[in-house]
Amino acid sequence: MGYVTDTHMSQFIAPNLFHTAGATWTNVAGQVTSTIVRHVGAADQTVIVNVPVVIPSNSVALKGSKLVSIEVDYEILVAACDAFTAVLNKVTRGADTAVAVVTAPAFTQAPTAANSKTVDQHKLVVTLTTPAYIDNDEYYLLELTVDQALTTQVDFLGAVVNYELRI
Amino acid sequence: MGYIHDTHMSQFIPPTAFHFSTATMTQIAGQVAGTISLHRAANNQTSLISIPVMIPSNSIALKGAYLVSVELDYENTTAVISTSMTPTVYSVARGADTAVAVVSTLPSTYTPVQANLLLQDQVKCTVTLTTPVWIDNDVYILVQFSLIAGGGGSTQEFLGAVANYTLRL
Repeated sequence: MGYVTDTHMSQFIAPNLFHTAGATWTNVAGQVTSTIVRHVGAADQTVIVNVPVVIPSNSVALKGSKLVSIEVDYEILVAACDAFTAVLNKVTRGADTAVAVVTAPAFTQAPTAANSKTVDQHKLVVTLTTPAYIDNDEYYLLELTVDQALTTQVDFLGAVVNYELRI
Repeated sequence: MGYIHDTHMSQFIPPTAFHFSTATMTQIAGQVAGTISLHRAANNQTSLISIPVMIPSNSIALKGAYLVSVELDYENTTAVISTSMTPTVYSVARGADTAVAVVSTLPSTYTPVQANLLLQDQVKCTVTLTTPVWIDNDVYILVQFSLIAGGGGSTQEFLGAVANYTLRL
């Protein structure tokens, strides 16, 4: 029986897998030809975007995926956001008839929240303070709260999850 | 070259990857803060919820992913489902160019019992293949729930699914 530990695994997550509650969202071509985006139109509003971390999990401790960081590629168009903040949610699934339980693991982010809201292309990297193996009864959601100014538009190109695979 | 045989692999499938037909669906926050869901509006109709099982496949026999079971997390939020909620597992053999796909049904069982799938409550339904299958590169698996809402319509929130499999590489 073999054994693999690869510390350089990554997984692209397409923007159409993002959960985009409320507001008016559309799938459109990206600003760069041949790219794709999930686009939110201009409005003075706050929208919540969740990036589902779609990587393998494992029911055995210290096996499967060890989540290290998540990178989100997006572009803010026309006007800066009033705020752009990130929270990482770890969801422990409920048994039948029981609710899920959510905790918020600590992380650092780059660039800063102030620099994440400017008109520009952005690559937001959220790094767990303590990387964690994902149990089969758990999943992670990166929640982005986007407080748009009146004319702000945002294009989400996708995300990349970086993890260690041990199987 | 190594050899991997891990019988404890799982894969979360977010609700945004689900396919819904004959239903009015919206993306909203889940009942528990920090969760996400796809919300089905109340309607006395038959809705089909298809979960694409997004795990690796392999063109070599007895390699890749060996699908064992799929779990669906959802909540009947405003009322019971009056009629039924029934899962079926489909294996779709992709067609060659100019040829149609060929679909077969894989025998399966599920827990909890049918009556409990209809309750106004959080539900975790586990669909287990009677005979687990290796997934060929020309095959994919869909787990389809047929939701016959019946009188009252009822509403649901779909939180996501988890596929359980053996990985052999």
